Amino acid sequence: MSDSQALSQTQERAVSARKRRMTTRASVKIGERVAGGVITVGGLMVIVAVLGIMVFLFRVVAPLMAGGEMHGSVRHQLATSAPVVWVNGDEFQTLSTVLSTDGTALTYHLPMGTEISRTVLDFEGATVTAISGTLERDRVALGFDDGTVRFATLGFEASATAQARMPTGLTPLDARDQRLDARVFTRVGTGDFRTLSAVSELRTAETISDAPIIALDYRIGGTPERPVIAFTTVDATGQVRVSRSRVQINMMTGDETVTTTTTDLPPIGLQGDEQVTGILLSGNADRVLISSDAGYIYRYDLRNLDAPSMAERRRVADDGVAVTAMTFLTAEDALVVGTERGDVMVYFRLQTGTSDTTDGRELVRARTHAPMPASVTDIAEAQRSKEFVVTDAAGNVWVYHSTSDQVLMRMSRSGALGAETQAMIFPRGNGVLLVSEAGEVEAWQYTQAHPEVTLKVLFSQIWYEGYNQPEFIWQSTAGTDLAEPKYSLVPLIFGTFKAAFYAMIFAVPIALMAAIYTSEFVDKRVRGTVKPMMEMMESLPTVVLGFIAALVLAPLVEEWIGAVLLGFFALPMGLMIGAFVWQTLPAQVALRYDGFPKFTLMGVSILVTAWVASQLGASLERVLFYGDFKQWTTGRIGTGTPFMFLILLPLSYFVVAWSFRKQFGHHYRDLISGMDRSRAGMVDAGRWMALLLVAMLVSFLTAYMLTLIGYDPRGSFIDSYQQRNALVVGFIMAFAVIPNIYTLAEDALNSVPGHLRAASLACGATPWQTARWVVLPTAASGVFSAVMMGMGRAVGETMIVVMAAGNTPIMEWNIFSGLRTLSANIAIELPEAVKDGTNYRVLFLAALTLFIMTFIINTGAELIRQRFRKRAFNL
Amino acid sequence: MTSLNEQLPPASSAAGAAGVAANEAVAPRARRRYSADLSALGEPALWGFGGALALGIIMIALFLMVVLYNGATTFWPKPIDRVELTDGTVIAGVERRGTIFRPDLPRLTEDQRAVVEENDGFAYRTLYQTANFDLYGDDFRWVADFELANVTQPADFYYFERQVWGVFVGRIAGMQLNGVAMDYDPAVFRREQAAARDRFRQIRKLERNDIGRINNLIERERLNQRRAVLQQGEEAAAPIIAQSQARIAELQEEFQILQARVNEIRALDRGFRVTLEEVGGRQIEPEMSQIVRFFPANTLSWGQKLGIYISRWGEFVSAEPREANTQGGVLPAIFGTVAMTLLMVIFVAPFGVITALYLREYAKQGRITSIVRISVNNLAGVPSIVYGVFGLGFFAYTMGGTIDQLFYPENLPNPTFGKGGILWASLTLALLTVPVVIVATEEALSAVPRSMREGSLACGASKWQTIRYVVLPKALPGIMTGMILAMARGAGEVAPLMLVGVVKLAPALPIDGFYPFIHLDRSFMHLGFHIFDVGFQSRNSEAGKPMVFVTTLLLLTLIVIMNATAIIVRNRLKRKYATGQF
Repeated sequence: MSDSQALSQTQERAVSARKRRMTTRASVKIGERVAGGVITVGGLMVIVAVLGIMVFLFRVVAPLMAGGEMHGSVRHQLATSAPVVWVNGDEFQTLSTVLSTDGTALTYHLPMGTEISRTVLDFEGATVTAISGTLERDRVALGFDDGTVRFATLGFEASATAQARMPTGLTPLDARDQRLDARVFTRVGTGDFRTLSAVSELRTAETISDAPIIALDYRIGGTPERPVIAFTTVDATGQVRVSRSRVQINMMTGDETVTTTTTDLPPIGLQGDEQVTGILLSGNADRVLISSDAGYIYRYDLRNLDAPSMAERRRVADDGVAVTAMTFLTAEDALVVGTERGDVMVYFRLQTGTSDTTDGRELVRARTHAPMPASVTDIAEAQRSKEFVVTDAAGNVWVYHSTSDQVLMRMSRSGALGAETQAMIFPRGNGVLLVSEAGEVEAWQYTQAHPEVTLKVLFSQIWYEGYNQPEFIWQSTAGTDLAEPKYSLVPLIFGTFKAAFYAMIFAVPIALMAAIYTSEFVDKRVRGTVKPMMEMMESLPTVVLGFIAALVLAPLVEEWIGAVLLGFFALPMGLMIGAFVWQTLPAQVALRYDGFPKFTLMGVSILVTAWVASQLGASLERVLFYGDFKQWTTGRIGTGTPFMFLILLPLSYFVVAWSFRKQFGHHYRDLISGMDRSRAGMVDAGRWMALLLVAMLVSFLTAYMLTLIGYDPRGSFIDSYQQRNALVVGFIMAFAVIPNIYTLAEDALNSVPGHLRAASLACGATPWQTARWVVLPTAASGVFSAVMMGMGRAVGETMIVVMAAGNTPIMEWNIFSGLRTLSANIAIELPEAVKDGTNYRVLFLAALTLFIMTFIINTGAELIRQRFRKRAFNL
Repeated sequence: MTSLNEQLPPASSAAGAAGVAANEAVAPRARRRYSADLSALGEPALWGFGGALALGIIMIALFLMVVLYNGATTFWPKPIDRVELTDGTVIAGVERRGTIFRPDLPRLTEDQRAVVEENDGFAYRTLYQTANFDLYGDDFRWVADFELANVTQPADFYYFERQVWGVFVGRIAGMQLNGVAMDYDPAVFRREQAAARDRFRQIRKLERNDIGRINNLIERERLNQRRAVLQQGEEAAAPIIAQSQARIAELQEEFQILQARVNEIRALDRGFRVTLEEVGGRQIEPEMSQIVRFFPANTLSWGQKLGIYISRWGEFVSAEPREANTQGGVLPAIFGTVAMTLLMVIFVAPFGVITALYLREYAKQGRITSIVRISVNNLAGVPSIVYGVFGLGFFAYTMGGTIDQLFYPENLPNPTFGKGGILWASLTLALLTVPVVIVATEEALSAVPRSMREGSLACGASKWQTIRYVVLPKALPGIMTGMILAMARGAGEVAPLMLVGVVKLAPALPIDGFYPFIHLDRSFMHLGFHIFDVGFQSRNSEAGKPMVFVTTLLLLTLIVIMNATAIIVRNRLKRKYATGQF
């Protein structure tokens, strides 16, 4: 601005002499100001964009770590005539039904406590002694003192009523709900109404025992059309029975026929005055668990119902500490146990291999949750997640999440303590309902958006249901809703680095060496064609690379694995042979053909060695890997020696060559300097071959020794072969990364000032010496930054990995197995993830992790590059 | 210094300290032979470096050759082999490829085992495309060399490409014209098949254009009703609703008429059938209109083959996909790619140029520019999938969701802009490619000689005027290069698009004849995603493989052309502004 102002002032003065006034037009001034503003703001937008992306990702991720939010609680005293034994509440927290021992099912409006309806179930004079319900709580089995069992339905019926068809004469219950007789109407988002009413029914009694039933459990399996009802009972004599009822519904008449078969189980074998405190039955009726007040759980194996057996007696609490409550979590793989002392523990039934039980499985304590302050009185599981609610004798009501091992909500009762209570988690997992024997109801409402995710779940080992030990696992979705989602990012981060690592192994040497050669050893013309070609390669769509990798290269590599392995050693060897042959040429010849012909020769030597490798591949497999490499990798045949020999070969060559130089370097140089060029070349070739032979010997001996001391690479970085593996991914990803590193490194080398080169050459250094001792050290930081940027790209590469890596989130360095990277995982799972769901946010976290990883790498690289530029400029 | 000296030709065997070496180097010059100091030449290292470069070039060349060869030969008609196996089975199919494999020895017969064992446990097998998926339940069959008895190429075998069920390989057993069965007559069949195809296209046109238009109008009326209710309340909107209902009734009448016409043509079409017989004798009777293309694969002349080859390419670039994208054309994908890329350029151009102008012309070189550069570099280095995640979360769900609530409430809860679509895809890609434009524009700006700027300023032009009228026009080719490079990058990017709006099969293009003509909210097809989808997500990736190669070839050609243009423009620019340099 100041420039132009000064300019216009000068103009003014110059003009005034001629009495002509000229001012800068307002439009120009405004235009100037606007352009300056827009461009500055626009330029700074880039910073905003980068920060904006990061902030946005953070904002989506943040709710994952947020705790639950308590919305409030209500307390009512219901007018019940007898002790309450069961409670059920509907999904929308509108209605709740309680059942008393006298058979009264009382339904009331949950927020207000208003009675809605009352049904009396006829128990024919018997007294309820035990009660149990299914997971959904709407089907209940009651055990009576006369040894009978009755089944009841205590559920809710929901339907939608259009606004236009609403009946008249509604009475408002509260701001939200209205009632008409036994129905409650709630306005929903679309303007229509949801109609809710309670369903309470009783079925006929079945006589199971002569003695009173003291505990029972009840499950419904099978299909809705042909349900299989199973229940297990313990009567006062300690006899355990399992009964299965098959219900057949006659399609024509709608009649139900119920056939019940009851099996007596072997005696429990309680010791001393041990008492049964609870009984549990699995959904497909193949397990019965009985807890005792001595701290034991007895497990029956009922897979063969004709020969039921007691599988194990496992102590789950300290001696003499009673197990006061237990329940299965959804999917019935995990058993939650609560004790007299307030312990809350989770047991899995695992095949440990060392168990002494009759079915080879045993209950293993997998998780120990935070203990309750007082004796546990009741545990109730959530219907759709791994949550459960625990109540204790001191009136505490805690909601736990088992997988993430946290107490989500800590509530305490405000009413009178002492009486027996029944608790439940509402079906949507957003509230707890508790009723005491005396008919006092207390309900809490809360939201807990992502209880299954904590930092510990994301980044450390978790003992998941069905696993034998804590592990890092990613398995966000499974076939059923009951499965436990497993959100460990560690296998994905591992996969990301594994893919990047193998890609860099291929890419860095090739890209850097090619960059040095282009920058230092070819003339301008060659560079003018080679560099654009490499840049073109940079813009190759990775989806194409991935497709070629997966559908062309992977089968090819699998078929020619011997040749591929050989190729890694043959190619450098072929080039070296070329070099040593070239050295034997007389100086004049070598000089004359130095430029393009030599380069062509290098290409030819590569092609020739590739061809030789393809011919010898099968023989290599036969000689080293017993004829079948894939078989060998599984570890079933042979030893690790041959592979270690190959792996150690380059290393031992370097060791041998280095020792030779240290020991005999001077003498050798003296020897050579006396000869003419081609003779020296031959001697040098001889030296090389001798060194190579020694290196092979050393390598073989080392490999042999390693095998002797019991080291076998198989099982670590070599293991069973999969077609889509890290080798293929690394190779093709190198394809994507090489141009990146190459161009940046070449630029860095190129920006080394020409006068440094000129000075070095003028001192008599050869081009090789100039490159090695002048150019490379100067450009080192720039070259390093190029490598870092390549690394950044390899870390974030998506399509190649999605297509060619097999996408198994496993953690092993095996080069022949697949992997799943953060990026591939996002690409695969995000399109199906529900917006704002847990998986959605965890995937955003994966993206954020990726962003931060590349942010660090790129910022570091750019800082190094800026410093390098400044330095190169100053030289 | 020491290290440098060590590499220099040794002065004498006694050369110790560096200083001594320098002194002594002068004296024994006469008997020194430079030529033999091999370590100074570093020949093995040079070969290693050069080899790496050569390897890189060979890899690119191989890669391009694989794509080019497979892509270019896919559409060339290949003969049908009738293969008799040793166990008496006869199959007919087109040879696809062959590999060496290790047969499962215990499952072979004695003779076969002997053959295989003689060959070290290896055998060769060929993949035949036996086609006829509706009859066999599979498209392909492997035939090992040891079970091969006889291969012939009978002249009466035809290769049919069908509208559904893919390819059929077999003989023509007869045909039905207007319900009357008759013998096969090539000339008549050819004529009738062409007529049937015309009917097919007519039906499609009716359904797509006329019925499509009516459906579109009805849907708009429905939305109008909802909008009226939402804006004015139920009572006030009653007259509008009544009016709109009348209009819908009218449209539905029109629809009935059109539907009747379609049904009429369909009924006629059902009378024209052809009886096809596979090699085992089983017959099917498809309608002639279902046959897209047919030819006697074993009796074709060179010219006919070329004709089929060209016609297939024609179909590929101008028709819609068939058979779960494994056959037919990719026109919607080409259209989607081009539309998305152009839209992206519209977004990316101003942003990129402004940032470059800021960096080159306005900002003082210092901490701020350093941060801007780091940001640019980060934008370039952030994995593309992260942009996809951001695009989905921010553009589609947050921005799109807001737009829906403000402007399209009548369509809720169905999202209009609140899901992936071409607008969000191009915005996402614009963010992704902005660094490319910035870097190229910067390069172009810096190539404009300082003297031109100074000249302009000296004439009294303001800074912006100088940029606007002198610098930018001169830098325009360079900026265009940046755009083209950005387009090339954008056209090849797939990962973010998978999250923000690409679909395997889009029912409608983003631009069509229905109001408002440009539908920026629509999902679209994309060549790159097409490759991924057909190659990896279709029922039979083997069947889709040829298609993938052709699509790859097309995409690569597009990108290479764009890149080559950019590079040529850039090189020309460099030469134009090249100043004397040492």
